[in-house]
Amino acid sequence: MGELKLVGKSLLRIDGPDKTTGKAKYTADRKLPGMLVGGILRSPHPHAKILNINTEKAEKLLGVKAIISGSDTRGVKHGFVETPRYPPDQNILADDVVRHVGEEIVAVAATNYKVLNDALNLIEVTYEVLPAVFDVAEAMHPDCKVQIHPNHPKVKDDFCNIAGKTETQWGDIEEGFKQADLICVDRFESHLRTHGYLEPQTAIADYGGDGTLHMWISSMGHFVKRKKLASTLGMPEGSIQIHKAYVGGAFGGKIDLFSHEYCAAALSIKTGRPVKFVATREEIFTAYRHGQPLISEIKTGVKKDGTIVAQQLRMINNAGAYKGSGVVVIFLAWGFVMLPYRVKNFKYEGYSIFTNNPPRAPLRGHGAPQVRFALESHMDIIAEKLKMDPIALRLKNARIPGEELPNGDNVHNCGLQACIQKAVSKTDFSKRRHCFPNTEKISAHRPIKHGIGLGVSSYFGGSLIYPNSSSAIVKMNDDGSVDLLTGAIELGQGSETVLCQIVGEELQLELEDIRIISSDTATTPQDIGAWISGMTYVTGNAVREAAGGVREKILQVAAEQLNERVENLKLENKSVLVAADPAQRISYRDVFNASIANSRGDTIIGKGHWRTMRDEPFHPSLATTKGRWSENYAFSVQVAEVAVDTETGEIKLLKATTVHDCGFPINPQLVKGQIDGQVSLALGHAFMEDVMMKNGYTLNPTWLDYRMPLIHNVADSKEVDVITESYQVGRSFRTKEVGEGLVSAILAAIANAIYDATGLRMYTTPFSPEKVLKGLKLLDENKGLR
Amino acid sequence: MKQAIELIINGETHDLFVASNVTLVEAIRDNVGLLGTKVGCDMGTCGACTVLLEGKPILSCITLAVECNGKEITTIEGVSDGVTLSNLQEAFVRKGGVQCGFCTPGMILSGTALLKKNSKPKVDEVAKALEGNLCRCTGYNRIIDAVLDASVSTSHLQDQGEK
Ligand code: FES
Ligand code: FES
Repeated sequence: MGELKLVGKSLLRIDGPDKTTGKAKYTADRKLPGMLVGGILRSPHPHAKILNINTEKAEKLLGVKAIISGSDTRGVKHGFVETPRYPPDQNILADDVVRHVGEEIVAVAATNYKVLNDALNLIEVTYEVLPAVFDVAEAMHPDCKVQIHPNHPKVKDDFCNIAGKTETQWGDIEEGFKQADLICVDRFESHLRTHGYLEPQTAIADYGGDGTLHMWISSMGHFVKRKKLASTLGMPEGSIQIHKAYVGGAFGGKIDLFSHEYCAAALSIKTGRPVKFVATREEIFTAYRHGQPLISEIKTGVKKDGTIVAQQLRMINNAGAYKGSGVVVIFLAWGFVMLPYRVKNFKYEGYSIFTNNPPRAPLRGHGAPQVRFALESHMDIIAEKLKMDPIALRLKNARIPGEELPNGDNVHNCGLQACIQKAVSKTDFSKRRHCFPNTEKISAHRPIKHGIGLGVSSYFGGSLIYPNSSSAIVKMNDDGSVDLLTGAIELGQGSETVLCQIVGEELQLELEDIRIISSDTATTPQDIGAWISGMTYVTGNAVREAAGGVREKILQVAAEQLNERVENLKLENKSVLVAADPAQRISYRDVFNASIANSRGDTIIGKGHWRTMRDEPFHPSLATTKGRWSENYAFSVQVAEVAVDTETGEIKLLKATTVHDCGFPINPQLVKGQIDGQVSLALGHAFMEDVMMKNGYTLNPTWLDYRMPLIHNVADSKEVDVITESYQVGRSFRTKEVGEGLVSAILAAIANAIYDATGLRMYTTPFSPEKVLKGLKLLDENKGLR
Repeated sequence: MKQAIELIINGETHDLFVASNVTLVEAIRDNVGLLGTKVGCDMGTCGACTVLLEGKPILSCITLAVECNGKEITTIEGVSDGVTLSNLQEAFVRKGGVQCGFCTPGMILSGTALLKKNSKPKVDEVAKALEGNLCRCTGYNRIIDAVLDASVSTSHLQDQGEK
């Protein structure tokens, strides 16, 4: 294998200069002449019938240009999932019932914000308020009086408000439990958290005279957005062009189609003028999406030696008022359970339950942090009951390379065992951990207690969902530089840099010689988008193939010109040369001209495409988990070192060590950036962040009250890369997920570290000071009783 | 009621005629047309809209434009000529202090103001100066590194200059 020049190197981000000088353009930075501003009138009730909408007074206001409500739409519904089992269920604007606070009812376009707000205030909606339900246990209770939607027709359980169910099993669960020496039952609950992207939800639409609907959207995948806009607007996909804009963070929260995006388009079509929507921060907190609160009920049977012989789980998700991604997270939760450890006999049920809360979206990790928090806490509990080292318990059951998963996927060069071992040695884990912590520690009168804990996780890298594949084009310019055309979207992860590194490696070009044209649905090929955790793998391989096409063409032309065989040539410094006689060379510029002169005008263009699991027709069944899920699984182990202040209940994450198998890093510095960001997100979720909702209303809809980590809340974040794959020019590569799965094990590690420090087992997130103090007090009292 | 005001932004004078409720960030973005200043919350809670008013970092989304009449304002476009980056801008790129970039202009202005009055800040001084700037992407580690690193190169240059 030749020496790599660009791939595997921590090259600086190519968008860095634009982003540090204020030149980078985000959606709201697009100023168009005559642009109107749009806004949405939302439901103040969590559940109500709409009796009447009167927009007369608002229409008369000077400066109001158009008003639309549900009856002005085509009535085509949309949803995060749109499958035969889970058809779309959300209206763009409400029909006759609203089911959550903030549900969209009327949209207005006006000449400025003053007129817009006056107009929104003048619209009169009469409601008949209906009873509502918010708590998941109440909503699913067979006697629940509130029916938000009919139960899913295919789910026959005796519960109410079932949005969806995932069920699967293998082996013989009864028999498995019979073989067990110990059966351990636990229940964990995780709370409501939100994305906290800095750039607000923004969309601009301009239905110009050219018959094309031009849009700029703060989004995570332009092609899937375009697809949903096309179906709701009733326009062909080809008539909608979503242009490139940088995206100021998303973390899962910008993938759904949102009403404001449709309304911008519809109002622009209606008025013939550009229309801009920017959601206010309060709107984002109260009416947009949050993550997925999840209840995990786990029963595990183990042998004395730690072998897991049976595991049974029930997961319940509070989906909110529409299916959203709630019916997906119950599928994913199964996956995040089964990935790291071998379980012979297994049974899983996941329920997604409607409540009158806003619908949910994926949030970085999409269920993995909730699931791994539960499972890894559970593993430590089992280890203690078995009087076994928790590391030994994990190593006993952890997947090994080449293992086949229950769904037929393969873990290939899985680095999990290596990750566990490295995590332990790097942190001196076993020595620093008190083997069998007990409540004794509480009596020692030292207010600060230190603890160390560990968690394991795994994440898929790319699956099948629209548009299912990525394509890319690389074309050469006269001077030998190239343009890369890719639909990949840059939202902070560094996609543009990574993709250019791949092109540079394949063609032996410097980054300066590569111009990237990205995320524009009219000029770049389809792309899976930045939301299914496979961009580097899927789009990266498409880009590599496209660059490879250029390389082959260059070599072929150069071979003719130099009168040499292709095998004897090599690329260097924008030239092709004879390896044995470097003086014999031809520049890319001359190759380009020769190609046009001798190959009937063929300018040098390469194209590539990539699809994960290329022979698989669909994504796996959300109902039964059958079918392949991914061909790429990343594994990770994270270790947390915490300090618990037993007087205030406050906990600090002192150090987070992330040991991960991401295949191999195309750009190690960008990988490290992803890890730091995920550790920070987990830290926020663990200690600070909590969307407080009462009766469907968000009580803390600002960043003053929803506390995200500040620069004072930084954990020392260390990283160890377990490399299990390699990159070779001209060959497909297998990189693994690194952008969202690493919020997971660290959450569990923190919980386990708290236990190590204090003997307090956390069964619910967040690990707030109140909860910690209460728990410590209870431990003390119980000890007194003994 | 509208009012005639003069803003000196990045050394250039802009005569504006704005309503008294127009915020500084609106004046900068909509009237003057400098779009590097970002709006993350429009309510004084995130720091994305930070600019320097007479050298001091302020939140331009909760500052009225008329209050800044006759004053000097530095926005991200004024930190360098945009081609040769300032030490701090360069350090943000080199150290990985930038991801989505939406917090970056505000961060750089807070950091620039700090380095101006304190050329060798300690970690807690960096944290104090940047505590009003939220970043969701980086976890802040690399942002701290960037400011410290820039301070080293800045003071190094200054030392050389003094010789
Ligand atoms: S936009 Fe001014 S502080 Fe957030
Ligand atoms: S880089 Fe995205 S918010 Fe800071």
